[in-house]
Amino acid sequence: MKNHVSERWQRWVNRRLPRSDVQTFSQKNIFILPTGAGVVFGILLLIMLITGINYQNSLIYLVTFLLGAVFVGAMHQTHRNLSGLQLALVQPGEGVAGDEVPFRFRATAGRDDAVAIMLSCEEFSLGATHIKAGQSKDMTLPVPSAYRGYLRPERIRVETRFPFGLLKAWSWIRPVSSGIVSPRPLAAPEVASTIEAGDETEQTNPAPGNDHADLRPWREGDPSQRVMWKRYARSGQMVVADWEGERGSPHWLDFNAFPGADYELRLSYLAWLVNERERTGARFGLSLPGQVIEPDSGSSHVSRCLRALAVWGEERPRDAMTERHGSRQSESDEADGPQRRRA
Amino acid sequence: MKVSGNSSELVAADGVETGLPSRALLWLFGSFAILLTPQLDRLPIWLIAACLVLAGWRGAAQFGHVRLPGRWLRTGIMLVLVAVYITTVEGRFTVDTAASFFVLAVGLKWLETRTVRDFYVLFFILAYLGTVNFLFHQEIHWSLVNILAVALLLVGLQIINAPDLPGSVKAGWKRLGLMLLKTLPIVVLLFVFFPRMEPLWSVPLVSGQARTGISDTMRPGDISNLAQSSERAFRATFGGQMPAYRDRYWRGLILDYLDGETWRQRDRDPLQHPGRVALDGGVGELESGQYDVLLEPTDQRWAFALEDSRAVSSNVVEEAEDLFRFRRPADTSVRYRLAREEPGDQGRKFLTYEQRRRYLQLPATGNPRARQFARELRSQYGDIELVQALLTRFREQPYFYTLRPPTMGDNGIDNLLFDSRRGFCAHYAGATTFLLRSAGIPARVVVGYQGGAPGAGGDYLIVRQYDAHAWVEAWVGDRGWVRIDPTAAIAPSRIESGLRDAVADEGSFLENNWASPQRYADIAVIQWASLQLDRINYQWQRWIVGYQGQTQMNLMSRLPGSFGMRELGYLTAGIVGVGLLIAGLVSAWQMRRGGSRDAFLRIIGGWHHLSAKAGVPVRVGETPSTLALRLAKAEPAVAESARLFAHSINSHYYSVGSSAGRDRELKRLRRLLQTMKKQLRRRHSTMGKRS
Repeated sequence: MKNHVSERWQRWVNRRLPRSDVQTFSQKNIFILPTGAGVVFGILLLIMLITGINYQNSLIYLVTFLLGAVFVGAMHQTHRNLSGLQLALVQPGEGVAGDEVPFRFRATAGRDDAVAIMLSCEEFSLGATHIKAGQSKDMTLPVPSAYRGYLRPERIRVETRFPFGLLKAWSWIRPVSSGIVSPRPLAAPEVASTIEAGDETEQTNPAPGNDHADLRPWREGDPSQRVMWKRYARSGQMVVADWEGERGSPHWLDFNAFPGADYELRLSYLAWLVNERERTGARFGLSLPGQVIEPDSGSSHVSRCLRALAVWGEERPRDAMTERHGSRQSESDEADGPQRRRA
Repeated sequence: MKVSGNSSELVAADGVETGLPSRALLWLFGSFAILLTPQLDRLPIWLIAACLVLAGWRGAAQFGHVRLPGRWLRTGIMLVLVAVYITTVEGRFTVDTAASFFVLAVGLKWLETRTVRDFYVLFFILAYLGTVNFLFHQEIHWSLVNILAVALLLVGLQIINAPDLPGSVKAGWKRLGLMLLKTLPIVVLLFVFFPRMEPLWSVPLVSGQARTGISDTMRPGDISNLAQSSERAFRATFGGQMPAYRDRYWRGLILDYLDGETWRQRDRDPLQHPGRVALDGGVGELESGQYDVLLEPTDQRWAFALEDSRAVSSNVVEEAEDLFRFRRPADTSVRYRLAREEPGDQGRKFLTYEQRRRYLQLPATGNPRARQFARELRSQYGDIELVQALLTRFREQPYFYTLRPPTMGDNGIDNLLFDSRRGFCAHYAGATTFLLRSAGIPARVVVGYQGGAPGAGGDYLIVRQYDAHAWVEAWVGDRGWVRIDPTAAIAPSRIESGLRDAVADEGSFLENNWASPQRYADIAVIQWASLQLDRINYQWQRWIVGYQGQTQMNLMSRLPGSFGMRELGYLTAGIVGVGLLIAGLVSAWQMRRGGSRDAFLRIIGGWHHLSAKAGVPVRVGETPSTLALRLAKAEPAVAESARLFAHSINSHYYSVGSSAGRDRELKRLRRLLQTMKKQLRRRHSTMGKRS
């Protein structure tokens, strides 16, 4: 029942606040209610009025009416504080799943000063900011991310309680643009790329001019082609040969290099590998199903790769799509998205 | 809907321990100090000291000098102070003691003001303290002080809501002032029309504190103490002529029982029911012969009245012996109305045996010379003559009226009459009554006030405590009760022009009362200022403080239509509704009017409207230039203006301009739009002529 009501409320709010990267707040979309202190203030006024009645004290009546008028005045003040304010999403952030992704907003006050404006998204909120009439200020709000992919906060709340804290006026901006959240890196097992792996013989034979091989015991995840079966037949030990020249090209980070691993896990491995390569400054390319990024190096290449990992298989949220609050996954998931298991 | 939980967390700029900004806290300190001042005369000293220490502790903690007490210490302090409070209160539960406890609670709250939440709690209880103050002081200056304190609180609230906003104090005052100014009409209307209901339940205000004023016992010397006080007893406004000074005898109560040296009431007032005095004395305009009295609180039921009065307002009742009483003790200032009557025929003039015995009562022994003297007079004169002879004796023999009477010792009346011959009105009134009773004439002491000085403008009288007086009434044969004032015989100036003149030679007027402005009556400025202040306060008390049920009903009865409580209720609701509506409309209009950013849009809108009228409605996604071209094709007359208009719009939106140029652009666009309108109109009129 409560869910139902809140869902209808959400829908109603969403209708009033269409998705947009720029939102100007006005009567149409500002909500105002007393805060807890405002409710107590109302009770105080009631007590004062009763005191005035019981003691037939005109002056107490007068003070009660004065404070009541202040409350009404505060209602307009608080409303005006927010009204006319324009909030624009300047830059949706990029980050790593599980972290907070910084979204940069620019607030421009209208004809009135906007005092003590607070931005918040879920449990994260920014301290109060003051913007003089007609001026702008940039604010960076951390938005929590749970999964890799496009991060489009359902709503960013903007609130003010100025001047007395007895009333809060609030509204939301529902950005169109989304931030990009790359997979959380996970240390990847050392595996070869499959890019140049044509057939088995090539793999088991050392590359010409490089006959050095490291022999090590088999561990889980090693492809069976690498096991030295001859040696196994001889000694009963599963030994794997790491042929330097034989491994898939280290230039390539390959989605298909982790057979059997979950897709999300592979992406996390790849993110980790990308970071590794960035650390060593090595050249590398990224191969994903449906997308290949040619080998390169440098930070822009790295971020390009991370972005590719972030949005692989994801569909950019479209404007018209109304989503249920808190659910980034939509119908597209079932339709064409890869099967993903989420933690 | 989620309320972001940490939105009330503030960045601690200072106040390391508590996280509350000093700038905000300061205003609460100020407000608390101001709110305590009206109560200084009422509160016990230890409580004031405790409040100062507690608030000071909090202040010192703010600047890191000390730490705020932990929970155990805090509880200990609380228990100790509450224990002190309980012992001083001694089980009396009155509003007075309750208010003291409330002050104590506010003081204790200082020690646990750490968070924003506590700040708000403190705000609320301080605001209520302001309300409580109004129970004890309603003068205009105290009212302003209280309202100022509440305003400080509201400024403090603004600061805690934006602690790092520069210039917030000035802006806060301005914002608050504007807010109050804008809502003032609604406040005034509410004040006038909000129905003044009967108290929901009865709550006595009577405090245990001693009040200055006459009491129901009179020992020699009592009233001379009172004569050192210039506190106001009451004020009176007369419909028609004010009575002459010598006729201003305000009767309060009658003392008919002499107990040794002390005059008392034989029948004590019946046990007083606690409850509120009916404040309402408002019954329309003052008619000729009527007078309003605005009595300061006395905590007694006595109402003071001129001789030969009858009650007009319903809050006073006439009791035996032509005295007036409230139904409840006057615990706040009360307004009541009386009317003077011609001293007509009182009908049957006789005393019952019981009454005669009562008014002849004397102690069995004491003052033998006075008794002897009375017997001598009795043997010479009849009733009237005896009284005359007595007054002649007072007038002709060297009796002195003094505020510094000697101590009389045993047989004080003998001493006064035959030895020292120096006394104050109470002495002479007591002695005269004693003599008359000894001579077999029924007599009684009347206590009240005599005189009263006109206030500023001369339209009302101020009667002060030093006007307290005692005189005698004697039953004289067929004339009934006759007022006899020995003081009038001894010091006529006391009765003609007041105490100041009567003791002018002695120089003892208000000699112990340095602070009283009345003492400096010869300094014109002080006198003038004090009277003006009194006048403002009097009007304040009559019209604002005393605006209660009956007064409201009187006012309403002058309006067309019949206003009852119910109608007033509707009216009030209507006022609130209309007020909110107007406020909403005004703010909506302000929004619509928009900022300068929208001025361009508005002009463009006007242009679109104009071209639509010319048969060229704007298309979706059309640029100003193409619209101008199409418009030029349809109406060649406006071609040039339209082109310029479109150009200006483009240059406004697509070139970097300074804000100074913006106004010029606006002006130019407006002018062009006007030109286009004119050109179109001219063209249409010529077309009309041609056809």
